[in-house]
Amino acid sequence: MAQVADPFEQQALSFLDALYRTGLRMTRSEADAEDLVQETYIRAFRFRDQFTPGTNMKAWLFRILTNTFINSYRRRATQPQTTELDEIEETVLHRHMTEAGAPAATDPERAVLEGMVDTEVRQALEELPEHFRSVVLLDVEGFAYKEIAEMLDIPIGTVMSRLHRGRKFLQRRLYDLARERGIAAAKAMPRPEGA
Amino acid sequence: MDCQECLERLHPYLDRELTSKELDEVRVHLDDCGGCDSAFVLERVFLDRLRGSATSDVAPSGVRERLILRLRTDVRRRS
Repeated sequence: MAQVADPFEQQALSFLDALYRTGLRMTRSEADAEDLVQETYIRAFRFRDQFTPGTNMKAWLFRILTNTFINSYRRRATQPQTTELDEIEETVLHRHMTEAGAPAATDPERAVLEGMVDTEVRQALEELPEHFRSVVLLDVEGFAYKEIAEMLDIPIGTVMSRLHRGRKFLQRRLYDLARERGIAAAKAMPRPEGA
Repeated sequence: MDCQECLERLHPYLDRELTSKELDEVRVHLDDCGGCDSAFVLERVFLDRLRGSATSDVAPSGVRERLILRLRTDVRRRS
């Protein structure tokens, strides 16, 4: 492997995992994710003079990733078969956000939280409709509303509403996945004696 | 602040996007309201778990090497 000595290169490459996993969930294809990330880095290196040392390099690279995705990949990225978010009923967790005087946590809610599995979370993220997904993916990588708004060129209010609805969708989907997993586990269990 | 107003600020509160004045108003309400407080705690746990699961995977082996190779080729081609 080539020697990495250039500080700019070293710092830029430290965000490879974050850029790749975000690219993977945006494109839903390992080959496209790798192309997208390579394209992002090539642009970053070509325009490295535009980066001000000491400013947020992660945000700068993600802005390039997002632009590249929107311009080159979005149209051909396969879209998930999902229900319109407007039709999704309130999630168990989400009920707390809208009901005044919400009751204390009940067992199913705790069960979903305690049973959250990495693979199911990633699956649920990939199933998010694209405009919600971008906002949620940038949020989990730690960007502020304002940064996300600038990257996607949308108003902050839109970031907030998409994030809210995206999280709602994820909770609903994770609840369903946990329930399916529970049913599968129950079926796989040996029948008790005399049952 | 009533429960409705408090719950509308749930995400901006957990995302640290409120002004200090709004933050104080939410805190005062949460101190008095067990229902809202419990909703905030649950949502915080959910978001922490979501962030943990969503950011724990790394690029497959070979991706870094192929990237560095392509960057070197690009630099050479343009010089």
